[in-house]
Parts: sequence; C-alpha cells; structure tokens
Amino acid sequence: MRFITMDIKKCVVCRNCEYACSFQHTGDFNRADSNIRVAYHDDIKICLPQTCMHCEDAWCMEICPAAAITKNEETGAVEIDSGRCAGCKMCILACPFGNIHFDKSNLISRKCNLCKGEPQCVAACISGALQYVTAGDSCRNNREIFQRFMATLHTPL
Amino acid sequence: MQLVIIGNSAAGLSALEAFRKRDRTSPVTVITKESTIPYSRVLLPYYLRGKTTFKNLFIRSEDYYSQMGATCITDAVVKLLSEKQTLILENSAPVSYDRLLIATGSSPVKPPIPGLEGKGIHHLWTLADVENLMPCFKKGKSVVVLGSGFVSLQGAWAALSRGLDVTVVELLSRIMPNALDDHGAQILTASMKQSGVDLRINTRTLKVEQTHDGKLKLYFNNGHDLVSDFIIVGTGVRPNIDFLEGTGIEVDNGVVVNHHMKTTLPHVYAAGDVAQVPSTFGGPCVIHALWPTALETGRIAGACMAGENISYEGSLNMNVTQMFGITVASMGKFMDVEGAETWTDKTLSHGQYLKILMKDGVPVGATCAGGSELVSTLGLLRPLIREKISIQGDPAALKKMLAQNMTRYHQAYGKGASCAL
Repeated sequence: MRFITMDIKKCVVCRNCEYACSFQHTGDFNRADSNIRVAYHDDIKICLPQTCMHCEDAWCMEICPAAAITKNEETGAVEIDSGRCAGCKMCILACPFGNIHFDKSNLISRKCNLCKGEPQCVAACISGALQYVTAGDSCRNNREIFQRFMATLHTPL
Repeated sequence: MQLVIIGNSAAGLSALEAFRKRDRTSPVTVITKESTIPYSRVLLPYYLRGKTTFKNLFIRSEDYYSQMGATCITDAVVKLLSEKQTLILENSAPVSYDRLLIATGSSPVKPPIPGLEGKGIHHLWTLADVENLMPCFKKGKSVVVLGSGFVSLQGAWAALSRGLDVTVVELLSRIMPNALDDHGAQILTASMKQSGVDLRINTRTLKVEQTHDGKLKLYFNNGHDLVSDFIIVGTGVRPNIDFLEGTGIEVDNGVVVNHHMKTTLPHVYAAGDVAQVPSTFGGPCVIHALWPTALETGRIAGACMAGENISYEGSLNMNVTQMFGITVASMGKFMDVEGAETWTDKTLSHGQYLKILMKDGVPVGATCAGGSELVSTLGLLRPLIREKISIQGDPAALKKMLAQNMTRYHQAYGKGASCAL
C-alpha cells in the first residue's frame, strides 16, 4: 500500500499540485476543481497541502447512503463512484479534515482517488514536498494515528 | 448462538456487518417486511427528482445475505414472546433467538385531519411509497406537501424540479423547525419562494375532500382553500413497536436502550429510528431518526451482540441537503440557547450563512446555509463537538487551528506520517 506523504518544510505554495489535480480530473486548470488544496496561512508561516487521507475506517465510506464510496483494494484509495453518488453531501459533512469537495458541474462529491496509483500532484510537485511512498510503520494504521492526532488538539500550542 | 435482526435498512445492515466482522459462524436470520435487497431511504427523493436511477437505490448486491452467511425472511413480525425468546411472524413459522436486534425503524404518521386518506394521499418514506408517487410526478400536475421537514421539502424540491405546481403547508410559523435555526430557515424560505413554491406557514389544514373530477380539495383555517392532484403527508414519524406490546419492554418515545444498545429485556437490543439512544451531550435519551445515527447504533449493537464490550459515544444529530439551489446543514445544538455563545461568520458574502454555538469555548453545534464549502466546516467541528475539545480562539481560526495542529503533528511524527497522517 502506498500513501501520499508531505514534508511541510519543503512546500513552497507553488500550487502546481492543485493545477495538476484539476487538469487530471477535469482537463482544465482550475484550482477550485482540485482535490488537493494547499492551505497557506502567511501570518503563522504555515503551508499545508491537504488531500484525502484514505482513512482505514473512513467516516465518509461508512456514512454514504448511496454505497458510492469504496476502498480500492489495489491502491488503497477511498474512492467515490460518480455513477452512484447522488450528491447528498453527507460525506462532506462526515469528513473531519474537510478533504471532500463538491463538483458544481456534475452536482456530486469528489475527492482524491490517488489517480489509480499515479498521483499527478506528486508528479507535479517542484520541491519534493509531496512523495508517494510505500506505507511504513508510521502510517500503517491511519485510524490509530488519527486518534493520536485528535489528542494533540487538546494541548495548547 | 442464533442472532435475529428485524429490519434491513441502515441499522440492521450496519449491525449485521459489525457482527460478522467479529463472529463468522453463528447463524443469523434477518426478517424484513420489505424487499430482500436492501435499499437506501435517503436516496428516495433523489430518485424522484431524477438525480439517481432506480438501480442505484439498491445499496447491497442480490446475493448479499448469502455472502454474509445470513438467512433472510420476508415477513412481518406480529409479536415478540420475550420469555420464550421467540418471534411470531404473520405468514411464516415462529423464529427463536438467542440475541435479538430490533431495527424496525419508523413509519410516517398522519395528522388527524378528516378526509386525509384514500386516493391521492401519499407518504414519501418507503420504496413502495415512491413507486406510487412516481406516476403522479408529471409536469403540469399539482401537489400539496403537508409539513416542512427534511423529507417533505426534498419531496417538494423533486416535484418542482419535474415541473409540478408545488404548495407546502406548515402549521408553525417557519419551515424546518428540527433542522435549521430561524435565519437558516429564512434563507431557505427565500430561495423556495424564488423557485416558485407556494409556501404557506401558520396554516392549519381543516379537512380534505375528494372532488368529483378525481382531485383533492384542501380547506385551511385562513380560508385560502385550494384544489390539488395529490398530497404528500410528511408530518413526522413514529417508531414501529406494535409487536412489542405486552412484553414489558421500556418504551418512552421509542425503545429505550443503554450505551450498549441493550433494551430492558434480556438478550434484546435495539438500534436505528426505533431506538431512543444516549445523546452525545448526555442527559435524557433521544431519537434522532437519522441515517448516521442508525449506522452508528447498528454498529454498536452488532459488536455488542457478538460479545464485544463497546459503548456508544452518543448520538450527534447531523443533517445536510441541497435543495432549491442552496445547501443547508446542521449539527448538534444549532438553536440559540441561553448560556451558549453564538458566533457567526461575518466574512461571508450575501446569502451565505455559518453559525457556530459554543459553551465555554467548546463547540456544541453549528448550522449553515448557502454554498457546499460551508458544510466541510461542520465536518471539521464534528470531532471537536464529540470529544468536547475547545476551539483555541475565534472559530474563524478553525482551519488555521487544524493546519497548526497538523503541522505540529507532522513535526512530531516526521514526514512519513504526512498527508496520509
């Protein structure tokens, strides 16, 4: 299983990943159509590309009332079947990271699908911040890591 | 150990799957009074609107039950004999259980309005209802929707999308009292009216008459009576508990359960719309009658019936839909209450609305109306509401807070734990 990882020290907010994602999925360069979004907070000097974590027990997958979200056994990607999605937005409400977006032209939800194992955001990353790596121990159990992450929210910065 | 599940919608399916994850061998019987292939109630209005296909309504495969190692009986449960641990069915032989899950859901109720029965009176609740409604959904026809909850308005939106004349009648002074606050309701009301819905609030239906040309005449308290081709009644639901009469099971508004979804009868569990379950805010048990709660409570029941000792973290109500051109959503406590601070996003453009309610810095609920991007903010809030985590500073900084914490997380766990956490 492979994951997209990111080294925040390297991201320079060039937004190539956003353009590459948009082009891959829509054939056009429109940042609003990208599934990866670089959150840039200049006041605190943080740039953070955010895209689907492909959670182990994905909340979006459990909640989808159309059974449109499944895990791709080959790539490990949590994928939305655009033929089944009815556009109810329950997955957007369920995602704790805000990583599912709404496709305004087709009126359905959309999210990262790891480009069938060749993520274009990674291919277009100029700084090496985004990598597509084989899962190591550190990200084997997303759920457990997620819980540890939620616990960090308690601690003041 | 013989497990019996009554019901094959969200709670029943979720329980069966959670049970099978832990117990692959014990026999399971599912009893359903509907079609054997499970379908999604949530999608029914979308199907009426033409947004999804009939085929897509079915959310499990035809051989689902054999794959799950379960037997499916299509029949209605007439009675529970709890001392004999047996269910009496309408047409089939009695079924015995070692553990039983009541996931019978709820059914729509009709308000006591004379004449509100017979030809042309519909609900929008089951697949059968929708199959009855579909032939009525023809351009140029007229429909009156009684009630203005989520399902009613989705029905109204579907009818409007198909070119019908739509009137929505609400007894109260505003729409969606259980899912939106006053301001959100105002925004939705404006777009409903703009879309061409004849919305009548503060209106009581006195009686309904069949006219001689096959239509329905509705009489209202304000005298603005009208004639319509058909009526959709969406004025609330009640849990399906008739078969429990005489068992002594504790019933309040629904079957009362504890954090393990156990009812007061031995070996009997309940989940979904029929169950009155613990709330995430503590206090008395609640019936949210929502898809997410049904899935969660089903999952807990399934695990507990397989012998695992897990507890439900409590139901958190959450709703979202897009209709009449705007997206509305709510979660947790979204009505202004005393002792809670209300924060609204002042940076949003006209027609966009986001409100977060907090108690001592801890978010307890939120609601939004406008574009779909707002919904993802509610998604970010959900773990904070559930885990009672305070927002450090202004809720406007919510996304920044997430970014900061993720950054700290990345720093702590190195780049290997990055985007994929």
